[in-house]
Amino acid sequence: MNARAWVRGAVPPRTLLVAVLILVVASLTVGPVVMLLLGSFSRGLGALRTFTLDKYIAVYSDPSLPRVLLNTLIFTFGSALFSTVLGTFLAYLSVRTNIPLKRAFSVLPLIPMMFPHVLFAAAWIILLNPTNGILNMWLRGLLGMSWGPLNIYSLGGMIFLEGLLDLPVTFMVISPALYSFDISLEEASRVSGASNARTLWKITLPMLRPAVLAAFMLAVIRSLAAFAVPQMVGIPGRIQVLTTYVYRVISVGWSPDYGRAAALGVIVLVSAISLVLLYRYLTSASERFVTVTGKGFRPTVANLGRLRYVFSGIVLVLFCVLIVIPALTLGYMSFLPYTVMPGSRALSLFSLANWQGVFQDRIAIRSIGNTALLAVGGATIGVVLSVFIAYVLVRIKGRATSLLDSLVFLSYSFPGLIIGVGFMWFLIRTPIYGTLWALLVAYIGTYLPYGVRPLTSAFIQVHHDLEDASRVCGAGFLGTLRRITVPLIAPGVLSAWVLMAAMFVRELSVSAVLARPGSEVLSVQIMRYAYDGLWGKVSALGILMIGLSASLVILASFVKGRLSSVK
Amino acid sequence: MQVSVAELTKTFRSRHEEVRALDRVTLTTPAQRILTLLGPSGCGKTTLLRSIAGLENPDSGEITVGDDVVWSKARGIAFPPERRGLGMVFQSYAIWPHMTVFDNVAYPLRLRKVARHEVTRRVKGVLDMVQLGGLENRPATKLSGGQQQRVALARALVAEPKVILFDEPLSNLDAKLRESTRQELRGFIMSLGLSSVYVTHDRVEALAISDEVAVMHRGAIVERGTPTELYFQSDNPFVVDFVGRANFVQAKVVSHEGDGFALVDTRLGRLKAAAPAGIAPQEEVTMYFRAESVELVRSGSGGETNEFDGRVKASLFTGEAYEVRVDANGEEVLAKLGLADRVTEGDQVRLRVRPEWCRVLRTQS
Repeated sequence: MNARAWVRGAVPPRTLLVAVLILVVASLTVGPVVMLLLGSFSRGLGALRTFTLDKYIAVYSDPSLPRVLLNTLIFTFGSALFSTVLGTFLAYLSVRTNIPLKRAFSVLPLIPMMFPHVLFAAAWIILLNPTNGILNMWLRGLLGMSWGPLNIYSLGGMIFLEGLLDLPVTFMVISPALYSFDISLEEASRVSGASNARTLWKITLPMLRPAVLAAFMLAVIRSLAAFAVPQMVGIPGRIQVLTTYVYRVISVGWSPDYGRAAALGVIVLVSAISLVLLYRYLTSASERFVTVTGKGFRPTVANLGRLRYVFSGIVLVLFCVLIVIPALTLGYMSFLPYTVMPGSRALSLFSLANWQGVFQDRIAIRSIGNTALLAVGGATIGVVLSVFIAYVLVRIKGRATSLLDSLVFLSYSFPGLIIGVGFMWFLIRTPIYGTLWALLVAYIGTYLPYGVRPLTSAFIQVHHDLEDASRVCGAGFLGTLRRITVPLIAPGVLSAWVLMAAMFVRELSVSAVLARPGSEVLSVQIMRYAYDGLWGKVSALGILMIGLSASLVILASFVKGRLSSVK
Repeated sequence: MQVSVAELTKTFRSRHEEVRALDRVTLTTPAQRILTLLGPSGCGKTTLLRSIAGLENPDSGEITVGDDVVWSKARGIAFPPERRGLGMVFQSYAIWPHMTVFDNVAYPLRLRKVARHEVTRRVKGVLDMVQLGGLENRPATKLSGGQQQRVALARALVAEPKVILFDEPLSNLDAKLRESTRQELRGFIMSLGLSSVYVTHDRVEALAISDEVAVMHRGAIVERGTPTELYFQSDNPFVVDFVGRANFVQAKVVSHEGDGFALVDTRLGRLKAAAPAGIAPQEEVTMYFRAESVELVRSGSGGETNEFDGRVKASLFTGEAYEVRVDANGEEVLAKLGLADRVTEGDQVRLRVRPEWCRVLRTQS
C-alpha cells in the first residue's frame, strides 16, 4: 500500500452503471409503449402533436370487432387450456412415473422452442388443409369421401397448433414444481390409507394448483401475443384474432393506418400487462404454498405397470406430431411442385426447382443474410446488456434496482406485433428506421427477458463471497469480473446467447411490422411465400432457416467445448 | 501489525426498518495476537470485519491498518479491498470452483506479479503447511469441506498479509472436525506470528482460539478481555449470560469485607462473593456463579461458607457431565457436575460455590 489514497469521486461507478442501465432499458421498453399510446391519439405517423380520438372511434365502432374479440377469447383460452393439460400430463409422466425413455421424453416438450412457429404451422397446413392436405387426401381415399375431412383452417386447428407450440412454457413451469414437490406430503396421505390415485387427486394436484395456474396464465399471455399461427392458419379460414386484425390494418390497403393499429394495440397491450401483473401476483402468493425445500432429493416414482407402454405410446405419437411429421413434410415438400401423396407419382415429380427458385430469389437470399446478422449481432449485444442487468439485479439491492427489474419484466408481457407497432412510432423519426438496426433494437427490447432470466440465475449461483475473496486477495473490480465472475457464469452466458439467437432466427411478429425492403428477414419471407401458396419454396427456405438455427447451436457448443478445455 | 477502528458507524436501512449495525465502534487489535469479535447474530461483528476488509462502507469513522488510514469518511479516504493488503478466510470458504487448488492459492501471488518459480515455491510451501501437499492439481470442487477450509486458509496466508481476517471460518465444519481444526488453526497463526481478527458466534470457539475477546451487542463492543477474564470476572450481565451458563441470584449486601469480597443475603443463604469496591450495605444487587463452579458436597458437615441444600429436580447425562437442576429454597440452580458426582431426580443434595467463583454485579440485571 503506498501513499496514493483512493479518494471517492462524485459519483460511484456502481450508481452510474445502474443509472445508465435504467436509461437504456427504459428507452427499450417504456419508449415504444409510450409512443404507442401517443400514436393512438394522433392523426398519423409524423403527426404526433395533434390530439384526436378519431382512431379509437374508428376502431371500436368497427362492426367486425366483436367477432374478432370472441375469436381471440376462444383461441387464447382454448390453446392455453390445451397446452396446460398436455403440459401437466407430460410433466407428471416424465418426473413421477416409470415410463420407458423418460429422459428423452423430458426434452420432448421443449422442441417447439427450436422449431420456428411459422414452419410448424406451414407443415401442418401442407398436411391438413381442406383442399389438398396430404393427410386429408389419404383419409379421403381411406374413407371414400370427396371433401375434408379435417380442416386446419379453423379455430380448432388454430388451438391445436398454438397449444402444442405453447407446450415448452407450461411444461417448464410445472415440471420443476413436480421435481421439488415434498414427497412426505404424499407419503402422509398413503400412510393415512389413501390409494396412489386418490393421493394424486386429493393431495398432489391440489398442491400443484399454483404451478398449474401459473402455467395457464403464461400460456394465455403467449397465445394472446401469438401471430404466426393466427396469420398462417386463421387468415385463410377467415378467422381473425386481435393480432392479425391489427396486422391487417397496417398491411392491407393503400396507406397503412398506424394510428388505428396503435389504438387497437393499446388494448391488447393493456390486457397483456394486466395478465403479467396478475401472473406475478399469483406466483408470489403461491410461494406461501412452500413445496420447494431446495434439498436435492429424488422424487418417488409411481409404477404404472403395463399402462406405462400405453402412455409411452401416447408420448411417441406426440413426438411425431411435434417434430418428426412436420420435419419430414417440409423435407418432402421442398422437392415437389405441388402437394402430392407420397408414391410413384410423387417420385416422378421430384425436382430441385424449389431450391433453385429460392437461391435465385434475391430477397430470399438477402433475408437469410439479414436473419443471420440479426441473430448473431442481436444476441451478442443483447447478452452483453443482459450480463450487466443481471449483475445489477443480483448484486445491488435498492429502489433503483427494483425499478430496473420492473422495466425488464415489462417486456415480458409484450405481444411482438403490438410492440412492433410501438417501435414503429418510436423509430419513425430516427435515421435507423427501415434499416436492420431498427429490427435489432426492437428485437432486444422485446426479447430482453430471454437473456436476463438465465443470466440472473447464473449470477445467483455465484456466491458473492467468491468475488469478495478475490478483492481481498488483491484484484480490482474489473480484474475480479474478468478472472472470477465471467468464467463462472460463462455457461449461463452461452445458453442465454443461444436462447436469444434462436428467438431471433425464428422471430416473426416484430419483424412483420418493421421489416422493410432491404431489411427482410427469413420468417417474413416464408410468410410471403405461404401467402402466395408457394409451399415448396416455404419448405426449402424453412429448411435453410432450421439449418441456420442448428449451426448457431453447434457454434455455441463448440465455443463451450473450447471454454472448458482452456483453463 | 495493528488494525485500529475509530468511531465507526454503519446503519442498514430497508423499507421496513433501520438497523444500527455499528454504533460508534472504537477498537485497536493487539499485534501478533488473535482478537475475536463474539456476539449473537446481527450484533454487527461481521459488518465490522467486512468494513475492515473494505467490503462494506461504513457511514462514518476511520479505519487504520498499520500506519495507513484505509478509510476515513471525514478525510475522503477509501481504499478498495484489494489495496489494503489483508488476508481473509470466508465462512463459505469462497473457493473458486473453476480453478485448481494450486490456482486458488496462487491467485494473490499472481496479482502481485510474483515471479513464476517463486509462486510455485511459496504455494507448495503453504500447501504443505496446511497438509494439502500433493493435491495441487485437484479441481477445487473435488475437495471435502475440511480440505476446502484449508485451501481458504492457505490462500489467505500465501501473500503473507499483515493482518488476517476470519469470518466464522469453522462454522461449516462438523462438530468433531471443528474442534481439531480449532487447535490447529491457533497453532498456525501463533507460529507465523500473525495478527488476526476472528469473528464467531460460537462462545466455546471464541474462548478456545483467542488471546482476547471483544463481545459485541447491538452494534457496540460491550466488553473486552482475555477469555478467562470474560468468563469469570465480567461485570456485564449480557456478557456473563452470553459467554456461558450462569446462575443469577437476587441478593442484598450485608457488608463489604474490604478484601474484594462482600457478604450478601440470598435465598440460598448468606454467601461470600467477589464484589467491586463501593457497594454499600443494604444495596439490592445481583450475584452470579457459573454452572461449572457448583460443587457437590459429599460429607454433610453443615454451616460451611457458601454451602446450601436443595432437591434435584432433573438430571441430564450429556456424556461429559451431569447437568442438574436443583431447587434450593425456591431458587433454581443449574449445576454441571462431574461424572463422579452422579445424582438422580429427587435426591437431597448439598452444594457449594467457592467465594472466588461468585461475583456481585453492581448493576441489577
